[in-house]
Amino acid sequence: MFERLSYRFQIPCGLTLAVLLSALLVAGVAAQISARAARQEILTTVRQAMVLLSAQAKPLLAAEDIWRAFTLLRDTAALLPGVEQGETRGAILDAKGRILAGSDPVKLATGIQATGVASNQRATPPVKDIHTRYESLGPNGDLTLVEPIQSEDGEVLGFVYVEVDAQVFAPDWVAAAKPALIGAALAAALLVPLGWLTGVRMGRPIARIANCIARIGRKPAAQLKSELPMPRDPELGRISSAVRQLLSEMEVRQTAEQRALSAERLAAVGRITAAVAHEINNPLAGLLTAAQTLRVHGASEEARARSIDLIDRGLKQIQTMTAALLPQARVEDRALQPGDVNDVVTLVQPEAARMGVELKLDMDVSSAFRVPSAVVRQVMLNLLLNAIKAAGGGGTASAEVNADAETVKVTVSNSGVPLTDTALATRLASEGGNDPRGFGLWICREIANRFGGGFGLVPTSTAATKLCFWIPNLEANEQITAPH
Amino acid sequence: MARASAATRVRVGLTAVILADQVAFLSRWSAYLSERMQANVTFTARESYQEILDLLFGNQLEAAWICGYPYVQQRERVDLLAVPIYQGQPLYRSYLIRPNAGVDRIGGWKDLRGRVLAYSDPLSNSGWLVPQAQLRAAGVAPSELRRGFFAHGHRNVAEAVAARLADAGCIDGYVWDTMLRQKMPAAGRTEVVWRSDLYGFPPLVVRKDTPGEVTEALRRSLLAMTQDAEGRSLLDSLNLDGFAEEPSSIFASIERLSLEQDRLG
Repeated sequence: MFERLSYRFQIPCGLTLAVLLSALLVAGVAAQISARAARQEILTTVRQAMVLLSAQAKPLLAAEDIWRAFTLLRDTAALLPGVEQGETRGAILDAKGRILAGSDPVKLATGIQATGVASNQRATPPVKDIHTRYESLGPNGDLTLVEPIQSEDGEVLGFVYVEVDAQVFAPDWVAAAKPALIGAALAAALLVPLGWLTGVRMGRPIARIANCIARIGRKPAAQLKSELPMPRDPELGRISSAVRQLLSEMEVRQTAEQRALSAERLAAVGRITAAVAHEINNPLAGLLTAAQTLRVHGASEEARARSIDLIDRGLKQIQTMTAALLPQARVEDRALQPGDVNDVVTLVQPEAARMGVELKLDMDVSSAFRVPSAVVRQVMLNLLLNAIKAAGGGGTASAEVNADAETVKVTVSNSGVPLTDTALATRLASEGGNDPRGFGLWICREIANRFGGGFGLVPTSTAATKLCFWIPNLEANEQITAPH
Repeated sequence: MARASAATRVRVGLTAVILADQVAFLSRWSAYLSERMQANVTFTARESYQEILDLLFGNQLEAAWICGYPYVQQRERVDLLAVPIYQGQPLYRSYLIRPNAGVDRIGGWKDLRGRVLAYSDPLSNSGWLVPQAQLRAAGVAPSELRRGFFAHGHRNVAEAVAARLADAGCIDGYVWDTMLRQKMPAAGRTEVVWRSDLYGFPPLVVRKDTPGEVTEALRRSLLAMTQDAEGRSLLDSLNLDGFAEEPSSIFASIERLSLEQDRLG
């Protein structure tokens, strides 16, 4: 609870609490010291009063003047602590220890034996055993004092007798605590506003630092650094410096990440360029050879036909390659239409016919396509061209297109040599290598990742290889772009 | 009216028969008498009758207000000057008083056995002589008291009983009544257990060798106090009706008690 309060409240409350605790401790110690001093002072006063009574009582004892002894006690006892509360009493005893007169005649009645008897938990020795001042502390703290009154020649004329109840020695906690509590109240009156101001001053830089920390990631680090305070307090200074260092490191890291991203993009472009160059260079060599053959042996029908075939295959390979790269270049596109699917099938139909591969299409669209047409067309084209090549002569290549409100899925299977997970991973890892099919598959996976979808082998019992590509059925600007 | 000369000094001794420690009152009374007598009247107060008698017979006083008991004892050496009139007569009573609260309080003289009794003065009729006779009548010997003591004045008797220093006290009835009238705490905390028969009120006396004109002037002044406002005011403060010339026979009952006391030693 207390920790949840701001420094504006914590500091004055804490200071006041500390002052109060100090006051209580001081009051406690002061009361102890005061109690000891008060006890000593009481004893001193009582002993002095007894000396006074002893001197004044001599002629009264000689005359057995009870009234004057009483008035002497009444006047002298007024000096004793606790008399007003009836907690201290004095008496003058005759030589036999009987009360001549008492300051409180009800408790110390005239003619009653006061020494050598036990009463009210007070026990005093008989008069014959009292030669000097006798002091006895009872079990409950009551004090009894008896002092002999002697004539000049040493004869005992009587005694001064004083009873002090234990309550007289009890510490006056209120009186002892009062100065400390008044001091504490004054200190609190001063410290509460002072603590409030200190709390406000202490809390201000902390709030500013906390505000900066709260906005990390949402505001530029440089701006946050400029807003960070530089408190003079060493602890807060360390916190501020630490936050400043954190922001600096974040700044450096963000810059490095930007650079790394740029470098990665450049590397990707480089890899694509190298792959494209490689894929184009291979058929180019064949094309150049075919061109040379035509130049030298163009008169021969057979050589011309073979060279033209060669040129045709080489150009188609280049066409395939450029087709595979098409989506990387397009940014804006319209939504896929069912006709686009049929167009792709039509496009690959000549290649399937040339390879002697049976081509099948199954389309199940329960919800309108929202995905970009170029993306799906490119993926489907790549997968079908790969499937036709993998199926080989007499084989079958099938395409299924499914669309619902959530997903658009393109599944392409072939009856050729089965493609294992390991072989697929190798092809994807090599980013195509010398195999145009591998490059096409890598492009498919990249697209799937970019659009928050997936790409991979699907277990099948009806075909050798079945590859599935799917992405969320969302428009391009809604697509969740996979992290790099 | 006989008058003393202005240079005449008339010294009057006071004892515990009145509440004589009221300085302002004594100053007023002194001035009143001085004016009436054309003399210098002064008052001298002492706690005990004996001290006043010593001063009187030592020629330190011309007159004194003493108790009937010393009067009958010193009748050969003093003359009656005047007797106060209290409640219409020159008589008063002795009281036995006790605290008006507390447990185990005495109910009469017989209950004083084993108790503490306060007397006023050994020369007091009401505060010593009457109680001695009553103790004898009750069959209580003085030695049977736990303690008996003199309080040196009727007022002190009331205070000793109020403070429970004594279980009972013997006091001049006029003094106790006046204390009660003046709302003195000691009287308020005590109550009367027993009242005596009437005795001659403590008289004012002069030495027999006091000049006659002084005696006469003082007597006339005292007797005339009822005739003027200031005198009546002073008498009201004294709780008295006035002063009168009375025969010494009014002290006969005190004399009988005195003789009995002397006989028994």
